[in-house]
Amino acid sequence: MAALQMSREWIGIQQFPPATQSKLLEILGKYKEEDVSSLTVLVMGKGGVGKSSTVNSVIGEKAAAVSTFQSEGLRPTFVSRSRSGFTLNIIDTPGLIEGGYVNDQAINLIKKFLLNTTIDVLLYVDRLDVYRVDDLDRQVISAITDAFGKEIWKKSALVLSHAQFSPPDGLNYDLFVTRRSDALLKVIRTGAQLKKHDMQGSSIPVILVENSGRCHKNESDEKILPDGTSWIPNLVKTITEISFNGNKAIHVDKKLVDGPNPNERGKRLIPLILAFQYLLIMKPLVRSIKSDVSRESKPAWELRDSGLASRRS
Amino acid sequence: MGDGAEIVDMSDREEKKKLAEDRISDEEVEKNELVRSDEVRDNEEEVFEEAIGSQEVPKLESFEADGLHEDLPLETTPGNSKDAHEVGDQEEKSEVNVQDIITMGEAESDFVTPRMNDDQGEAGADISFGKTESSLDVAENIEKATSSGFGLAAEDVSMENGNTHSFSENGVVFPEDKELVAEVISMSPWSEETGNDGIEDKNWEENVDVSAGMGTEQEVGQGEVTNENCFEKGFVCIDNESGAQRNGVDYNSVQNASGDKSLNDSIEVARSGTSSPLEKSSSEEKGETEGHGSSGSPGVTFREHETVQKSNGGHDVQHNSQSNKELEQQQDSRVNIGPEIKESQHVEREYDVLSSVSPTESTSNTAASPPTRPAGLGRAAPLLEPAPRVPQQPRVNGNVSHNQPQQAEDSTTAETDEHDETREKLQLIRVKFLRLTHRLGQTPHNVVVAQVLYRLGLAEQLRGRNGSRVGAFSFDRASAMAEQLEAGGQDPLDFSCTIMVLGKSGVGKSATINSIFDEVKISTDAFQMGTKRVQGVEGFVQGIKVRVIDTPGLLPSWSDQHKNEKILKSARAFIKKNPPDIVLYLDRLDMQSRDSGDMPLLRTITDVFGPSIWFNAIVGLTHAASAPPDGPSGTASSYDMFVTQRSHVIQQAIRQAAGDRRLMNPVSLVENHSACRTNRAGQRVLPNGQVWKPHLLLLSFASKILAEANALLKLQDNIPGGQFVARSKALPLPFLLSSLLQSRPQAKLPEQQYDGEEDEDDLDDSSDSDEEAEYDQLPPFKRLTKAEMAKLSKSQKKQYLDEMEYREKLFMKRQMKEERKRRKLLKKFAAEIKNLPNGYSENVEEERSEPPSVPVPMPDLSLPASFDSDNPTHRYRYLDSSNQWLVRPVLETNGWDHDIGYEGVNAERLFVVKDKIPISFSGQVTKDKKDANVQLEMASSVKHGEGRSTSLGLDMQNVGKELAYTIRSETKFNNFKKNKAAAGLSVTLMGDSVSAGLKVEDKLIANKWFRMVMSGGAMTSRGDVAYGGSLEAQFRDKDYPLGRFLSTLGLSVMDWHGDLAIGGNIQSQVPIGRSSNLIARANLNNKGAGQVSIRVNSSEQLQLAMVSLVPLFKKLLSYYSLQQM
Repeated sequence: MAALQMSREWIGIQQFPPATQSKLLEILGKYKEEDVSSLTVLVMGKGGVGKSSTVNSVIGEKAAAVSTFQSEGLRPTFVSRSRSGFTLNIIDTPGLIEGGYVNDQAINLIKKFLLNTTIDVLLYVDRLDVYRVDDLDRQVISAITDAFGKEIWKKSALVLSHAQFSPPDGLNYDLFVTRRSDALLKVIRTGAQLKKHDMQGSSIPVILVENSGRCHKNESDEKILPDGTSWIPNLVKTITEISFNGNKAIHVDKKLVDGPNPNERGKRLIPLILAFQYLLIMKPLVRSIKSDVSRESKPAWELRDSGLASRRS
Repeated sequence: MGDGAEIVDMSDREEKKKLAEDRISDEEVEKNELVRSDEVRDNEEEVFEEAIGSQEVPKLESFEADGLHEDLPLETTPGNSKDAHEVGDQEEKSEVNVQDIITMGEAESDFVTPRMNDDQGEAGADISFGKTESSLDVAENIEKATSSGFGLAAEDVSMENGNTHSFSENGVVFPEDKELVAEVISMSPWSEETGNDGIEDKNWEENVDVSAGMGTEQEVGQGEVTNENCFEKGFVCIDNESGAQRNGVDYNSVQNASGDKSLNDSIEVARSGTSSPLEKSSSEEKGETEGHGSSGSPGVTFREHETVQKSNGGHDVQHNSQSNKELEQQQDSRVNIGPEIKESQHVEREYDVLSSVSPTESTSNTAASPPTRPAGLGRAAPLLEPAPRVPQQPRVNGNVSHNQPQQAEDSTTAETDEHDETREKLQLIRVKFLRLTHRLGQTPHNVVVAQVLYRLGLAEQLRGRNGSRVGAFSFDRASAMAEQLEAGGQDPLDFSCTIMVLGKSGVGKSATINSIFDEVKISTDAFQMGTKRVQGVEGFVQGIKVRVIDTPGLLPSWSDQHKNEKILKSARAFIKKNPPDIVLYLDRLDMQSRDSGDMPLLRTITDVFGPSIWFNAIVGLTHAASAPPDGPSGTASSYDMFVTQRSHVIQQAIRQAAGDRRLMNPVSLVENHSACRTNRAGQRVLPNGQVWKPHLLLLSFASKILAEANALLKLQDNIPGGQFVARSKALPLPFLLSSLLQSRPQAKLPEQQYDGEEDEDDLDDSSDSDEEAEYDQLPPFKRLTKAEMAKLSKSQKKQYLDEMEYREKLFMKRQMKEERKRRKLLKKFAAEIKNLPNGYSENVEEERSEPPSVPVPMPDLSLPASFDSDNPTHRYRYLDSSNQWLVRPVLETNGWDHDIGYEGVNAERLFVVKDKIPISFSGQVTKDKKDANVQLEMASSVKHGEGRSTSLGLDMQNVGKELAYTIRSETKFNNFKKNKAAAGLSVTLMGDSVSAGLKVEDKLIANKWFRMVMSGGAMTSRGDVAYGGSLEAQFRDKDYPLGRFLSTLGLSVMDWHGDLAIGGNIQSQVPIGRSSNLIARANLNNKGAGQVSIRVNSSEQLQLAMVSLVPLFKKLLSYYSLQQM
């Protein structure tokens, strides 16, 4: 699928302020050093949290359609941009929640769409300025885990959008971010059924993002977070780190898409079962029938009837 | 809503209130009024207005609305005739009534149609109705006058309570369609300023009783006040419609005088006929123009007396216009009135405004209601034609006036007292509300405040049994009182409001509560469920007691809905003792909840509390200070736009969850963030400059206030929650009626099953024995073989076939006759056997009722006309077993499962009780994915006496979610050979509504080839009646089963609320040639829909069937060509 897509020149990068541009190019240089020519990023999350906006922010152009009030269709969007021999593929997916349920259809579509691609990084997007995590979050996480295996979380980052926000009740911003991300990470851990030792060494990084046009900017015109960091390079940097974190990228193959084939399961047992049936069930059955027949005593009228019949014929 | 709109609203309200003060209404009017108010509401787009409106009558469906209107004529007519009985001369009276009824019908049918179309039409229709109504009353009045020898409808009342009210009505005649309309709107003024309330009330009472038409006319006025309603501060409007006179024409004169003050406004409601001259801007002008208009008619001269007295900035208007003949007398009358006028002191400035406003109003009406007017006009004309003339007017003033007022006084005093009390209370509520408003720092010009005040006025009007007079003073006085009280310090206010807060977890419910009280009443936590249980919080906001019920957050996922249910159920238990006045549903403004993510939660709320919870709900959007998201162009979208869109999404979701698309919950914004901008007073201000808290509280209080007013005026019945349920239950009467009118065969004993036709066939027994003989006399006939046929020439062949057909016919006839004879014999035999000793008969019975012991295949179901491979009919065959129960599957080819198509089971059985009474039972149960349907039918019949039989049946079927039970009974009389009559009754119980019906049926068998069935019936339920009738005539061939000629003519009429539905169909089957039939069928109804179909079928021309191959080939060809491509 990915091969079919023509990757366009990454023009949007020139729209960034020079400071951001240089940082980005520096990061991309790292890929060159490692001799990696492409990177595929999968963006997932609930509806309306800002997935498409984040993609657009990173690409620097309006690649994915953003609609505030309507949900975009069910189809994922493939955005591919190349810059001096390096291709960045971002797959934007539709929101996974529909009417209080996880939308299985959407997940299946995404899976089919991703067939034969390798996911280097998964970005799980949610909003920073929401206070609660609920069961839906957990369901989304487990749906993703079911679809791609829990290994995918080792190649993932938690993106918190709407980061330009002042916490309520006079809470400290950093504290709020920590608590919010902790809550979500906890959900991810439980939802993905990750054991403690699975997470050893590699914890899921948290990236803050602010896609709004009203995002504050620093003196070099970079979009910055309330804590002063310029978030776009930070995001790309974290993505890079994840892609090089030593864990295997997730390759979406037929097996992963189709799930385990139910026809294959227990195929070898068939002859055994047949033998079992023949030896232990059929044999005694036939034997008992035969013994019944031999023991049978015919009533008088039947004998007469059969006699008549034979005579008539 | 801009300021401009606010101001308009404001003025509306004032006018409205004035009107309300002047109101005279009785029950019917009130009902009508409800409708009216509803329409008014519909026209207003203001959000709050909508929401409040939802507490009142929801927009009525046309049926319902019709029903209300239907009530009017029925109830009013008798009242009027009572009025008239003292003087009326009987003949004329009856004439009047008849005509009234006719007109009513016209008017109704007029308005039914537009009603269907749109609201506008509805409004128009409404008006027309009201007018017709009023004209009816007037007609009675006129009649009164006529009987006492006066030529003109005139009525005067003078009251003896110190003030003299002279009140006269005169006909106005317009040269329109040769029918002249007299129209007088006379207003007797009163003034609150003098403080003699009691007297005024009396006056007013009397006026009420003087003419029942007043209220109605005012109703008309109300109706005409379409959107922005302002109406004159007049008092009583009487609408006289009088007919044309051959020579003379009357002109209207309005003379009103009151002791203290007088305001005589004559306001002509613009009529379609006279619209052009009427569209002037002041009442005086109007009077003149009308005069001119009338003088245009031949042989008429007018003199107009216009006395306009203006004093103290106000004006009094008097129109006295008479024809020359009556000049002298008129002068007399003027003399009478003169002093009164002089007495009049001053008229408030408002009057000025009002009277100038009213004409505009009437103008707009004209535009709205032209088509309906003629219906009203038509009636009056013949009535007044013979009426002599006006001269006696002074006598009218002197005489008639005394009759009724006194009676009126007696009867209505009690009511007045009661009503006064109510008014006083309402006034207190008004004051209270104004005080609340004041405390919240809002002016009466606030949209919400204006709406509430307007509604209060309206409610009072509706309520006012005998008409309340809400004037501008009400508001002024209330506001003055409120200011006074408020100025005196924040003394405790007898008001408390309970708000229940619902919403998703984490949207800020508890935070909002803290904001309302401006202190931390409930601890909140950003990351945990702050509220664990339902709790009530009480406190004071600006000295107003507010009680808030906080609930734990709800969860959006479907899987969590049981948890939500638990939460909500505990909330329900909590509020049982102290129900909330308003529900605040909170959601975040900055969460783009799309994908209908809130639906599960909203549904659960609806399930637990019932849809009525939404009728009193405000949507609160928290985080209102957050910036709107970027628009599609990348630039920020406007805040207001964002709020509007977001509100719309939530309102839509609520509408969907509540299952009521009329819901329009008001939206209030909330921002709890500590960093929210504040104004100088420390109140939180939203990005759009709104100070949210007072707004939210005002909305809540307004709701409470209106509920209080409703309770006071006993209007609760109109709270829509109850109505929904009620309405969904009622089955449409026409449906029931048509099922009643359906003629059903009576249950028969098994041995009689087959002789249904017998009775009828008795007729022609004697007739054709000669034919029978003919067959025997025919020479022997030998059928030819195929080979022989081939040899015959064409003409020979034809001859042969004709001959054969003839013989076949005769043969079949004979067979039928024999069969009939046999059956008759059998019957006789059976009758004889019964007389014989028992043993014998048993034998025979056994022999006869030997059931088939082997299951045989049942006849196949008829296959559909068109070939459809999906249709499963051909796949199954059933066996008919010996079981008494006949069980069959139910085939539904259009059901959800197209492939299988069997959705239910049908069982039938015939029982026989005591060998005499057959009871048939049939039941059907179908079930598909969505719902299950049950239909049971039991019928039994008893023969008593010769030719009389009574059948009794019980039907049970479910309609929607309810079961409807019908008991019907029918008695047939066939005393005559040619005529059979039947009468039936039926009662249907569904939910809590009972409908009863009655029908009469007559079957006429004229001769062998013509028979006719006529039936008529009526169905009534909850005071609602539908009439229907049907006629079916059938012409058949002389020898029916053999001859194929058959024509049927059917006609059915259904009348419900004057909505007349007539349908007719005709079907004819004519044989063409030997083996072809032509079937023509046509139907048409009065809505203009119809269908004509002509069908020819033939078993002769096989080649015709080949035509069907054409599409087949075409299809194949298209495949081929596709492949080519």
